[in-house]
Amino acid sequence: MTTTTNAPAGTATPVLGAGVTRVDGPLKVTGAVPYADDLAPRDALVGVLVGSTIAAGQISLVDASDALAAPGVVAVISHHDAPSVVRPNEASADERAPRPPFQDATVRFHGDHVAMVVAQTREEAVHAATLLHVSYDVSEPVVDLNDPRATREDDDPAGADSTRGDLERGLAEADVVVAADYVTGDNTNNPIGLFAACAEWDGESLHMWATTQWPSNTADCLAEAWGVPREDVRVECPYLGGGFGSGLRPWPYIHAAAIAAKVVGRPVRVVLSRPQMFTDVGHRPETVQHVRLGARRDGTLTAVEHTATIPVAVDDDNPENVVSGTRQGYAVEHLRADVDQVRLHISPPGSMRAPGEAQGNFALETALDELAVELDIDPVRLRLHNDATTNPDQDDLPWSSKALDQCLRRGAELIGWDDRDPAPRSMRDGDQLIGYGVAAVSFFYFQQPCTVRVVVRRDGTAAVHCAAMDIGTGTYTVVTQVAAERLGLGLGDVEVVLGDSSLPPSPPAGGSGLATAISNAVALAVTAVLDDLDLSGAPGRDALSRAVGARDEVAAEATAEPPDPAEMGMSPSGAFGAKFARVRVDADLGLVRVERLVSVIDCGQVLNERTARSQVIGGAVGGIGHALLEHTVTDLHAGPQTGRITNAHMADYLIAVNADVPDLEVEFVGGPDRLNPVGVKGVGEVGLCGVAAAIGNAVFHATGRRVRRLPITPDLLL
Amino acid sequence: MSRHSLHVTVNGEAHAVEVDTRRSLLDLLREDLALTGTQKGCDQGACGACTVHVDGRRVLSCLTLAAQAEGREVTTVEGIGTADELHPVQQAFLDCDAFQCGACTAGQVMSAVALLEEDDWSTRDDVRELMSGNLCRCGAYPRIVDAVLSVRATQEA
Amino acid sequence: MHPFTYTRVDDVEAASAAVTTDAVSRAVQGPDDTVFIAGGTTQLDLMRDGVWSPGTLVDVSRLPLADVELDEDTLVVGAAVTMADLARHEAVADLDVLRDSLLLAASPQLRSMATVGGNVLQRTRCRYFRDPEVTQCNKRRPGSGCAAIEGTARTHAVLGVDAGCIAVHASDLAVALVTLDARVRLHGPDGGRTIPVADLHVRADVDPARDNVLAAGELVTHLEIPVPDARTGYLKVRDRASYEFALTSAAVVARVEDGILAHVAVGLGGVGSVPWRATRAEEVLRGQRASLALFEQAAAAELADAFTVPGTDFKPELARRTLVRQLRDVTEVTA
Repeated sequence: MTTTTNAPAGTATPVLGAGVTRVDGPLKVTGAVPYADDLAPRDALVGVLVGSTIAAGQISLVDASDALAAPGVVAVISHHDAPSVVRPNEASADERAPRPPFQDATVRFHGDHVAMVVAQTREEAVHAATLLHVSYDVSEPVVDLNDPRATREDDDPAGADSTRGDLERGLAEADVVVAADYVTGDNTNNPIGLFAACAEWDGESLHMWATTQWPSNTADCLAEAWGVPREDVRVECPYLGGGFGSGLRPWPYIHAAAIAAKVVGRPVRVVLSRPQMFTDVGHRPETVQHVRLGARRDGTLTAVEHTATIPVAVDDDNPENVVSGTRQGYAVEHLRADVDQVRLHISPPGSMRAPGEAQGNFALETALDELAVELDIDPVRLRLHNDATTNPDQDDLPWSSKALDQCLRRGAELIGWDDRDPAPRSMRDGDQLIGYGVAAVSFFYFQQPCTVRVVVRRDGTAAVHCAAMDIGTGTYTVVTQVAAERLGLGLGDVEVVLGDSSLPPSPPAGGSGLATAISNAVALAVTAVLDDLDLSGAPGRDALSRAVGARDEVAAEATAEPPDPAEMGMSPSGAFGAKFARVRVDADLGLVRVERLVSVIDCGQVLNERTARSQVIGGAVGGIGHALLEHTVTDLHAGPQTGRITNAHMADYLIAVNADVPDLEVEFVGGPDRLNPVGVKGVGEVGLCGVAAAIGNAVFHATGRRVRRLPITPDLLL
Repeated sequence: MSRHSLHVTVNGEAHAVEVDTRRSLLDLLREDLALTGTQKGCDQGACGACTVHVDGRRVLSCLTLAAQAEGREVTTVEGIGTADELHPVQQAFLDCDAFQCGACTAGQVMSAVALLEEDDWSTRDDVRELMSGNLCRCGAYPRIVDAVLSVRATQEA
Repeated sequence: MHPFTYTRVDDVEAASAAVTTDAVSRAVQGPDDTVFIAGGTTQLDLMRDGVWSPGTLVDVSRLPLADVELDEDTLVVGAAVTMADLARHEAVADLDVLRDSLLLAASPQLRSMATVGGNVLQRTRCRYFRDPEVTQCNKRRPGSGCAAIEGTARTHAVLGVDAGCIAVHASDLAVALVTLDARVRLHGPDGGRTIPVADLHVRADVDPARDNVLAAGELVTHLEIPVPDARTGYLKVRDRASYEFALTSAAVVARVEDGILAHVAVGLGGVGSVPWRATRAEEVLRGQRASLALFEQAAAAELADAFTVPGTDFKPELARRTLVRQLRDVTEVTA
């Protein structure tokens, strides 16, 4: 086994950029793709989770007598009788994993797990769940971010807070200061695939098929929870029906399946309902942010202050860095960034598609637009003028790659930026006001260790094994490409096996970090196996077969570790991007429709032009929803039901539909990143970021109305 | 008694089954007939992932009682093509990269196949509107429109 | 979902005979109730939410009520005709208000399932009504109050409501129907009757626990839709470009002769506890010279007594603008 950090750049392989079709595509278009629940043993019992009807208090009694008497019911499990399991830590050790369910009588949010009904069929379990009688000692919940009773945490778990220079001095040096508050609503990930878990025990060994973006960590947490050896826990999830961050944590429903299977001594399947998808697998927390910018008349930023308040669940950890983009986005000497968390009786927030960054970017990039108006400077020029050519957040080290200036210039060209009339409310077509907006994105760099095993078989074909998940972004395909490229094989000669915790450990499919980690691990493991075979270059199938000789196969593992920036003498770059929107706003009705959306992205080496483009397109669609539609609404007033989500239904929680989305223009600029041999930077989340601000800025240009709140709905524009 | 016997033809194969009256057509397909290609995205009639054809019309199988499918011809994604012999719409989805995670794909494909049988549309915006009953959280919409139009172009050629 | 018995009937008499209580008219249905199911798109959703738990479903989707006929100037549409089939029927090709009210509703799949009879009887989308754990709901538990009043109410009604219930009637089709003076044919155990669609629903400020006036065993068999000698149109305003209920909508039927509104009928959607016929606006408009100023005045009159809560305070203004826009577009008045 080889462990090494990434080698310096220079060995990137541009042919990888070719857009081959997805290797798993035929499975998906024919419906043959096995998601977690499809792999569950067919004789498994069905478990249905029952949520609390209050947001805070104690369960005094779960009376299961009627439910147990209902047809098909096998068991009802609650804190009265559930086996004890330990609350594990996430792999990032200072963060507690979500609490396993049924461990105490405390209710911490509306929908918190009170019990599970296990029955022969889903129909029976769902009905029996309505026959449970749960009594509570109700406490007054705190569910409003502005509630003065809420506990405010300022211990900075995300490492978000930062001070550079002297903010007051920077403000004093400014000719113009703009300051405003920005609010972003709570969003719910809502992947189309309902999350599912099935557990089967064999003595003390646990086998689970569960929706997750991180099989390694899920298995680690289950082993810790049950106090069993890690090798006795296996979590399989070869595919999932979307995650967008909601599959990153080992959520209670996974534990619930394991607990239930333990109790009844048979496999138990749990499939969350759509309403449960709003409370059981995380959500993007709302934010209240304040941004203050100081600048000289020529547009030079002298001071940036960005503070944010976001909620976190009681008794949970979910660090969310709302200000990361602000800290590294622009060259400014004086900066203060600060994120405070407020504890609320809400379901635990988690990551959702560019967590923190999506909300923070909206505030910063809207504020920059306001500054541009105040200074009467072109918003694109303002951003170019303050482009940080070194990382101001990391000792001014040079970036490992950065082409934000190209993103902005090319995007402006594509959308016809200079052809617009820059005056607000100056462009009109009948009832429709037309506006253009821009936003820039400096996404953070994230890489964690990843181990891959490459196996070369006697016939010269190869297999790549890794616990990592393909969440639909194309991991199967790009891993196939990287391995095939470096082994000199055709794509059809490489089998990629992912999504199984019994394979070499991987980081999460999240943080835009997997492609970098796994592609470099594959490159290293290929090098290792070729070393073992006394081969070099990309030898091809015949040479591989000859080298393996009479053996069945030859395998090697390698781990790609994140490099040390100081040692490298450069600051690792995440992706950069520029977003340009052209919107139409009905002058009377306030309806905003996106007419054009241009994304120009610097994500280093593009591993697969086709799937990378799809990721950016998909992010842009998510961004349209973030900007105009999505809002998870929690009831703040309605008596005993306070704290309840009022739109936990796919007809009421609005995500963009096909008709909301124009043709989306995507271009990639820049070149291979210098930090790693493959030259790749993650492209998973840069696609969504900046879209909301670009649309909001376009709405301002169209209407002259500045909306500092997401989503931007018609009622805000009347 | 809350059970019901029915006869239904799925992908050309006749089935006689007895089900809980509460069973949806979707769960009949997934649980009783092990046809797991059709996905449950919401069970609320609001996402389109469970779209199948009943007597040639695209409907939501989650909002159809299994009992209501008595005597009907049901077609699911498994009934229109296989990995070795893709339906033109499946091939177009693959070629256009009209999906990522795949959870909505069966519904999108079935909706698109039905749309291509309908004749009351012509433009790209028509396709957007008439494919809006199928949510895609990965955001593949423009590529789905590409896929539908590429098949229509082939049909017309 | 509560267990239930399922039967299918083949004729209207059997359907009427099967339903012996007034359950179909009530906002909620319980295990002792026998009710109809047709397309099922509302019925099953409410049963899955646990709001409705009827003991017996009588499937009326295959009754011989699937024809569309033009009888003189009246369209006679069988109740089991699906929204999709009516929308693409040649008889509605030029009746924009009806066609667009169908095509702007729901999704292609739902329109292939949902019948027009079921559509006009659809129930409110109020999420407080649709969650049985919410204890304050005058629709489900008369006298318990209304959680939406203090809660989240952006999609709720502002007309035909009071502090007892602000649930909206979400049908687009029904708004077009009341505007067209359509009638509904009912068949009951004692024979048939025909009533205006405008008399079919019960306003929330009259009785929130009752959604319609159907008597025990009464079944909607046909819609009678007069085809007006006028221009018509339906405008639907919603956050999302498709597949969403209306925030507001306006149905307009108008004939302008020499600049005068010789015939005018107006309906509003998304704002009423019932499909809203805007009679006050019509009074302002009728016989007057069409102008944008007149339209503003008419719209203002209709919304003058709107009942709003913090979540719905934008709706009267949005409804006014929606109505003015649609009056302008149908009449093609420019000033």
